[in-house]
Amino acid sequence: MATKVLVVDDSAMSRKMMIRALPEGWDVEVSQAANGKEALEAYHAGKAEVMFLDLTMPVMDGYQTLEVLQKEGLDCFVIVVSADVQPEAEARVKKLGAMAFIKKPVNTEKVTEILKEYGIL
Amino acid sequence: MSISFRTVSHLNEDQRDALAEIVNIGMGQAGAALAQVLGEFVILSVPRIRLVDSQAVPETLAELVGAETTVSAIRQPFHNHLHGEAIVVYDEHGCRDLADIMGHDECTDERVEQELLLDIGNILAGASLKGVAEQLQAEITFSPPSILATHVPVERLLDPEALDWSYSLLIEVNFTLEARRFKGHLLIMLSEDSIDTLVQDIDAFLESL
Amino acid sequence: MPSSAPEGLLEFIVDRINVGILAVDRAYRIILWNEFMASYSERPAREVLGRDLFETFPELPRKWMERKITGAVVLKNFSFASWKQRPYLFRFSHNRPITGGIDHMRQDITFMPVLDDQGEVTHVCIYVYDVTDTAVYQAMLQDALRQLAESNNRDGLTGVFNRRYLEESLEYEFTRARRYGHRLSVLLLDLDHFKRINDTHGHLAGDEVLRQAARRIASAVRNVDVVGRYGGEEFLVILPETDGDGAHVVAERIRALIAEQPVIYDDTAIDISTSIGLATLDEHMAAYTDLIERADGALYRAKDNGRNQVVAHTPGG
Repeated sequence: MATKVLVVDDSAMSRKMMIRALPEGWDVEVSQAANGKEALEAYHAGKAEVMFLDLTMPVMDGYQTLEVLQKEGLDCFVIVVSADVQPEAEARVKKLGAMAFIKKPVNTEKVTEILKEYGIL
Repeated sequence: MSISFRTVSHLNEDQRDALAEIVNIGMGQAGAALAQVLGEFVILSVPRIRLVDSQAVPETLAELVGAETTVSAIRQPFHNHLHGEAIVVYDEHGCRDLADIMGHDECTDERVEQELLLDIGNILAGASLKGVAEQLQAEITFSPPSILATHVPVERLLDPEALDWSYSLLIEVNFTLEARRFKGHLLIMLSEDSIDTLVQDIDAFLESL
Repeated sequence: MPSSAPEGLLEFIVDRINVGILAVDRAYRIILWNEFMASYSERPAREVLGRDLFETFPELPRKWMERKITGAVVLKNFSFASWKQRPYLFRFSHNRPITGGIDHMRQDITFMPVLDDQGEVTHVCIYVYDVTDTAVYQAMLQDALRQLAESNNRDGLTGVFNRRYLEESLEYEFTRARRYGHRLSVLLLDLDHFKRINDTHGHLAGDEVLRQAARRIASAVRNVDVVGRYGGEEFLVILPETDGDGAHVVAERIRALIAEQPVIYDDTAIDISTSIGLATLDEHMAAYTDLIERADGALYRAKDNGRNQVVAHTPGG
């Protein structure tokens, strides 16, 4: 059964790049969201088993989204994908329940590595 | 000149998006560099991009930094693939907080204060532009930074008459330190010719996707 | 860098270029030391290569340099230092004949990280630029600007301040005195029978009289007092922190100094004297111009009463 993947980023370009970086042959059903609010809606609609989440977004940013997810019992794998490459940023999102952190710009190698490492692939 | 203006004003959504992402990634690296040097968590703003003619630069700066703020600023020219200037603007709290973080007693010595502003400015400008250049697969060379002004109202920071270009692309990001009042603005000003080059680069970037 | 230059040319250029070039490895050992560095430091390359930079040059600011070098290494980016913040890194003499007080070579420094194939920094290259000339010119420029600013405030003939500066100063002092409740007095002087002196002895004589008078007035006051030429033959003296009595003492001293000795011009002795009007800040005054007006009124009375005297404005008078 196809894995439900949600790509969250305020930049359409970034979402496109993220989707293109998903490994070939991975059976997925991809949805998109442009901010945390939309992401939560999609999550509640069952569209996010794996979530690729940007940090700097308007309306509701990545940190806030993670907080809500954590409070609700976090029932998905969240991989933060961000240009904010401070070590502290990575530490904070992991504390908020994110599983992994990928530094932008993304590419298929990085994504595949993480997915394999966490047994998703 | 008019070509640049037309080109940029007619940037399609994909091109504008690509530029914003490229800048975002470059700025992320600057934020990380700053975080490393200061040992503090850096909050990055979403980059703002404006195409302005040189007459409008002072008011645009005021809009981006905050009208009538008293600021100090450094400038660092760069050239090679892209030509322009990086300007790092600090508000009054900036210096004091920086000095505190870096372990100086106070900003009592003007030369120490200036060196701090220059060092941090160099880090921000260097990291962000290098980040952008890497994505465009190009080289950027820097000249040494220098003090642009200290303790002046932001409106008086740049004199449009002194700018060589009729138009420039202004890219602004600000960096705030959590639990401190420090706020620094990084502005990248690209010359007209470079705007053309940049658009070509963006197209190439989009092709490669 | 692509080049069809003969082998050894690049090395020769690096060695002989008129810029200091040195490089250190991650342990701060010197691995490159060009001719510029050797000759100014008087330490040839063979003496320093392989040695610790800070041991070899103990007067270098070690902490500062380590910070700059580490910055370049960690961030993999250039870092810079300017003579304007730190006059020099290496204490070299500058070999300039005229210096205006600049003791050592002024230097701009560039720190350049050198990366290996894996993208790791193996060395840092340091450029030392001699910018002594720039520093000298900048000092000269600032001197000239300062003199220019000064001259904008001065009266060309007498050398005391000009009217514009007097008004600015008085306005400033007035505001301060008002705000903090300090005392403030002014003296308005008018040389007696000046027109007659000009007509009798000529304008050049008149100029000399003005110069002398100015000198005598200036000699009678403190550093904080402001003396300036207010009009053709009028002078204004601003006396901060001075009340009516104090001002009277000063005014009388000036009057005496001017009247005592004639001015000698072209073997002629020209007798001079001055009338002085004095006014002190009081609560009835709304603006600095009021002070001048009151002093002017008092000056008029001094003239009326026979000249060569001091008259003080009396409030209500």
